[in-house]
This record gives sequence, structure tokens and C-alpha cells, in this order.
Amino acid sequence: MTTRKDNPAQETAPRELVIMRVLNAPRKLVWKAWIDPKHVAQWWGPKGFTNPVCELDVRPGGAIRIHMRGPDGTVYPMTGVYQEIVEPERLVFTSGALDKQGKPLFEVLTTVTLTEQGGKTTLTVRARVVKSTDEAAPYLAGMNEGWNQTLDRLTAYVAKL
Amino acid sequence: MSIDPLSTTFAALANPTRRAILARLASGETSVTKLAEPFDMSLPAISKHLKVLERSGLIARTRDAQWRPCRLKAKPLKDAVDWLEHYRQFWEESLDRLDDYLLELQTKEKTHDHKKR
Repeated sequence: MTTRKDNPAQETAPRELVIMRVLNAPRKLVWKAWIDPKHVAQWWGPKGFTNPVCELDVRPGGAIRIHMRGPDGTVYPMTGVYQEIVEPERLVFTSGALDKQGKPLFEVLTTVTLTEQGGKTTLTVRARVVKSTDEAAPYLAGMNEGWNQTLDRLTAYVAKL
Repeated sequence: MSIDPLSTTFAALANPTRRAILARLASGETSVTKLAEPFDMSLPAISKHLKVLERSGLIARTRDAQWRPCRLKAKPLKDAVDWLEHYRQFWEESLDRLDDYLLELQTKEKTHDHKKR
């Protein structure tokens, strides 16, 4: 092997999409809003979407089944499986990423963590593309700093086309 | 194993050297020798990375010209960037709604408490 810069640790490091929010609500309530299907149906999905189907079997191995309905009436089904539930601080689930035709592309592992400080809750969503087949190379939707910069440049380039 | 194009793109992008090569190609087409210059790597090693990028459709190499310049092909890259952007947006908008909804819940709770008293 001459590819000595192909460090496996480096290969697997940059793969996360991280979004952080501070919510003006106690953690107990935020947790409820994440695990009660009645609540989830009220906020899940982009602006203008409704969720006519929202079934959450909140236990490890339990299923997530959500049908999102866009403003134009198109229904986007989404399925997932809970991996880990630590009330009221950690929720881990996998879900299928779908292409525009609704075909599964690969699996996304999402970790939601909640921490409370002074009645406010800091919520972090970490999404990571995981490999869809056992033999597959690491599939990354990665974002570390170096990756971000590269991506910025590439995005700028792509935008010019 | 069937691999969808987007997964192939992400797999190709998974390597820092390959990302650096793409970033370099973003400023214009160039030869393999030129591409290899900044890397502490043999030409065959660079060629291997280029093959991965070529297979994933991220770059193209001109067959006819003798120096076979490499250039960036943007379509798969754009799909990958679009998907990431789409996913980020999904969460940003969902969390906006969650924020509003939590406020609504708390307002309701307060009104409810008042009524109870």
C-alpha cells in the first residue's frame, strides 16, 4: 500500500451534522415534546408540513413511523428505529434517508441530547450518515472544520454552475 | 451490492486527500503531476484516488489530450451538497417549530393552572 495518508481514523472522523438550539422550556417538557406522538406531530418537519401519521414506539428497537405531508399535499413517509432512550436527556434513533423518488438512500443515525440550565434546555441534534450495507465504505455526510471549508468552496463552485 | 449514486459520492468524499484534490480542481482543470505536487504521496497513490473520484463521477479526465487533464464534474457533488443542505434545513425548520410549540404548550399550561386555582 502506497496510500500512507489513508489513515482509517481520519476517514471516519468527519461525518456529523450538528445543530444546537437553546429552547426556552424546561427539559422535562422538551423531552415530552420529543416522545409523545401527539406533540411530535405538531412540530416535526419543515414549515407548512403536517404529520397525518405519527406513530412512535419509544423503546429500544421500537419503530418510528411518520408521514409528513407537504403544503402541496405530497406525502413523505419516514421510518426509523429507536436505538437508545435515556429519559430525559438522550434519544438515539436511526432513520432512512430517502431520495426524491422516496427510495432509501442510506441510514442516518440521529442523536438528540438535552441539557438543562436555569429553566432553559440546550438541545443538540447530531446526525450522521451510517453505512447502508456491511461491506460498504464509510458513507459520510460529514462536517468537521476542514471538511466544512472544503465544502464551502465546493458549494460556492457548484453554485456558479 | 448495489450502491446508489449519492452513497458513492459520500464514500468518495470520505477521504481528506480526495477532498483536497476536488478543492484544487475547483479552480480549474490540471494535470495529475500538478495535482500530486502538494501531497506527500507517490503518483500511483494519487492516481488511485483519482480513479475513485472518476468512478464516482466527481471528476472527468480527457482521453485525447496527451497530458490527460483532470476536471471537476459538479453534478454528483451538487447532489451531495443539496442533500446535506436539505437535511440541515429539515432540522432547522423542525426545531423552529418545536420552539414555537413549546411556547404554546407553556402558555396553555399557565392558563390551565390559573383556572385550577
